[in-house]
Amino acid sequence: METVPNPQPPPAKPPERLAYSVQEAADLLGVNYFSVYRLVQRGKLKVCRALRGKLLVPRDELLKLLKSE
Amino acid sequence: MSDHPFKFRRPTEIEDKAFAEATRYFAGHVEQFPASLGAVKHLETHIATTAVAAHMSAQQSPHENPILASDGSQWHKSVDVSENISICHRNATGTLEFAVVELFPATGRNEVLTRGRSAVEVLKAFAQDQRQALQIWKEDLAAQVREFLTEKYPGHEMDRVADVFVLQYATETAARKQAITHSHGQKHGGGIHI
Repeated sequence: METVPNPQPPPAKPPERLAYSVQEAADLLGVNYFSVYRLVQRGKLKVCRALRGKLLVPRDELLKLLKSE
Repeated sequence: MSDHPFKFRRPTEIEDKAFAEATRYFAGHVEQFPASLGAVKHLETHIATTAVAAHMSAQQSPHENPILASDGSQWHKSVDVSENISICHRNATGTLEFAVVELFPATGRNEVLTRGRSAVEVLKAFAQDQRQALQIWKEDLAAQVREFLTEKYPGHEMDRVADVFVLQYATETAARKQAITHSHGQKHGGGIHI
């Protein structure tokens, strides 16, 4: 009896990142690191701090910045 | 340097290795931080001459190089402060006013960063903002290096390596060193140079 092979489930998509480091944010925006820190200093880009004090840029804040500019 | 973390002993082999790894991993910061710090230092040391040039431009060509800011205010470019940042002037209601404006030629959304009646004060305020941004960068870099080394070398005390890293690449001395290195056409080494 011929069996029909089970179709392979599509590969699971990696979960969407919620936040990025400053250099990742700079790469995504296509600017240098200092530009991102300047945006943080001016309050144009809201960030949060991880456990050791490292800055994290929430994905939503990046999108908000791009929409406002 | 009296407060140097490695003043009283040489770095161990593992500390040397960790430092070299961090230098490679954070190469972007190592390259960009001293350059940005150098640019801010240059701005600070030339505030008076830039302000004089801005005043002269405001008197000699008060209506040239018009710039429309995103808040709707109209300015005239006086002097370039850096690649996309200029000090501008305008004569609003008979009073001369200055502003540091960041220019975005692609979008035309030019942003006023600081403004006031004194060119010197406007430039000083701008330089201070830049300094604060550098400080945020420095603190973030220190935290990133600590995190990187802690994950890479679990069970090892790496705070001293992180301290030396920041001292070497994110201080005034680092900016001076980079300026000298660049003027001699050399590249950064990977080891701890004290």
